[in-house]
Amino acid sequence: MCEALGIVNFEDTAVDIAGMTDYRTISAVSFLGRYRLIDFVLSNMSNSGIQQIQIYIKDKPRSIIEHLGVGSQYNINPKRGRMHILYGEQAVRSEIYNHDIASFMANMHFIEEVNCPYVIIAPSYMVYRCDYNEMLKQHIESGNDITLLYKATDEAKEQFIDCDVVTVDKDKRIIAFEKNRGKYKNRNISLECYIMSKKLFMELVKRAANTSALYWLKDILADCCMEYKIGGIAIKGYVGCINNIKAYFRESMFLGKLENAGALFKNDWPIYTKTSDSSPTQYAPGAKVSGCSVANGCYIEGAIENCVLGRNVVVKKGAVVKNCILLQGSYIGENAKLDHVVVDKEAIIHHVKKLVGTTDAPIYVKRRDRI
Amino acid sequence: MRNDNMVAMILAGGRGSRLLDLTKKVAKPAVYFGGKYRIIDFPLSNCSNSGVSIVGVLTQYESVLLNSYVARDHHWGLDAKDSGVFVLPPREKDETGFGLYRGTADAITQNLDFLDQMEADYVLVLSGDHIYKMDYAKMLSAHKAANAECTIAVLAVPIKEASRFGIMNTDENDLIVEFEEKPAKPKSNLASMGIYIFNYRTLRKYLTADEKDSNSNHDFGKDVIPAFLRDGKRCLAYRFKGYWKDVGTIDSLWEANMDLLNPENELDLSDPQWKIYTEDAMIYPQYIGEEAVVENAYITQGVLVEGTVRNSVLFTSVQVKKDAQVIDSVIMPGAVIGEGAKVTRCIVADNVKIEPGAVVGNKDSEHIELIANKKVKKEA
Repeated sequence: MCEALGIVNFEDTAVDIAGMTDYRTISAVSFLGRYRLIDFVLSNMSNSGIQQIQIYIKDKPRSIIEHLGVGSQYNINPKRGRMHILYGEQAVRSEIYNHDIASFMANMHFIEEVNCPYVIIAPSYMVYRCDYNEMLKQHIESGNDITLLYKATDEAKEQFIDCDVVTVDKDKRIIAFEKNRGKYKNRNISLECYIMSKKLFMELVKRAANTSALYWLKDILADCCMEYKIGGIAIKGYVGCINNIKAYFRESMFLGKLENAGALFKNDWPIYTKTSDSSPTQYAPGAKVSGCSVANGCYIEGAIENCVLGRNVVVKKGAVVKNCILLQGSYIGENAKLDHVVVDKEAIIHHVKKLVGTTDAPIYVKRRDRI
Repeated sequence: MRNDNMVAMILAGGRGSRLLDLTKKVAKPAVYFGGKYRIIDFPLSNCSNSGVSIVGVLTQYESVLLNSYVARDHHWGLDAKDSGVFVLPPREKDETGFGLYRGTADAITQNLDFLDQMEADYVLVLSGDHIYKMDYAKMLSAHKAANAECTIAVLAVPIKEASRFGIMNTDENDLIVEFEEKPAKPKSNLASMGIYIFNYRTLRKYLTADEKDSNSNHDFGKDVIPAFLRDGKRCLAYRFKGYWKDVGTIDSLWEANMDLLNPENELDLSDPQWKIYTEDAMIYPQYIGEEAVVENAYITQGVLVEGTVRNSVLFTSVQVKKDAQVIDSVIMPGAVIGEGAKVTRCIVADNVKIEPGAVVGNKDSEHIELIANKKVKKEA
């Protein structure tokens, strides 16, 4: 058991996966075939022994509610534990007021009533493997007010754009926040994962609300980082930041490779998700498959190379699909040639025979489009 | 709907000894099939899809794994308020002490108290080791429409094979006039599938009588159905069309798996209207490496392929390493085919390690080879 309430926070407006988030929250975006982004943070929490989880949703709740259900697939005991989906119930006057602090304020009662002395807050668009209970132990031992997880990267020019950058002093204390504008290679990127006492969390939320009607949690942390002792813990392994379509494409391609799968998947750290009861995937005679990650229920007659396939995807005879992400139920017709394309759920490609995007600008085909 | 309550009883106690080492530690209904399933997933999913919400599973031979497997009724959606899968192994009783199930009918007789408690109006008796998809609700409608006391599902088999089955001879309304167990000269080709619907009150009477009959084998086919017919009870033959297989041997288990490679196969596990549910493996998707060759294959999640796979079925978490070849084979969960190893016309049992360079099976073999040693080394 872990003595923390897990809070899955929503991300700010800088995070937007063009096209895909028109229909769903970031947390509900399909990832690596059989998963949604939220599965990774929820699996971290569940595997860490967290049994009380609150999931905050900003808007477009249908997809995520459908995916989460009552949460038993995440190994949350439905009697003793709780997976609580929450949102700011009051209509917001404008999009700029729809931030995490407003949501926390609206649900303060539910935060207060949870019988956990600590909170661990994390967003769903950062994908990594982490034992939060171990982090909580380190937090308690350190005596710090707040612990923040960060990733020291040398790829900040390409990745983690618009994420928070933290300045860490020699005592591993966070002393300043700024934004990553992609100017420098080496940066310490905040994973927006914070560990603190529930009491302090509630104080900070109220203080943010009193300071500015537009403040997010990260704003008040930046404001008072010298007032509190914020310790930093660097995460060693893989961290994928899925904050735009380019990143979505890049991280999918990376994790879709057999040799990289171990960066995220480990036998003793299962990633939970909702089952769809799909049958296994069928590769027809003449199919050509190389360097792909494939979910169940697909039917492959053509050639697929360096692709990530969701469930129940069909690739017909003569089709050649390279460097593509094909989401659940999409259909690639005979002799279609696709390269660097993201095909959203249940889209059908049959008339157009050629679609070619690039790594920087993959083509996006909308959900249920027929082209 | 309470006065229309059909309770399913799945007979899952048999070993299936012709499956050799595959059933050394588990009963036949727990044997793996089709990449991600176990055989008992078929009757359980059929129940769930047919709206049969109370299912008793009668286990006996090596039942530990099977008992814990079927008890997780949420896998088949049988965990709603008035639903449940109930595990019913033999038990110690007040007057008779501990009694094993002596036959298919006796297994039900010993659980009449369960059927009483569930307030059954109809009892659906199923076998736990057959692979097929069937809507039992339709069978019940036919049973009621014919005003029958007992309905037996039958399959038309080629007449030259009919002497291997229990054969129903019927009148023009499909009412059964005679039942012959493995007749030398069959008069009909309607074979019993071992699927019965009974009016519970009538069945209860016959089973109670059967229990006291010291000459009885306590078997549905040999004793109970003949008794029904002797007394002139209305017994209907319910004709089933479609895929149905009793995988009794290593060869037939292999064949049934190979059937899935044909996209037009009658079983069609991808039909969204009649899914087969199973244990949900929390494991990553399947990964096909850059040098891999995968052709005419049926592969499920958690599989890693770096070598060559042709005409084969790969189960959960199987690994096929570099330069390894898997041809015309069925590889069960967790098995690892080492670098450069060759597997041809085999069933490789779960968690078997085929060491690098080892060669098993033969493309010209008459029978399929079962590989069940935990480790297969390269021959010196």
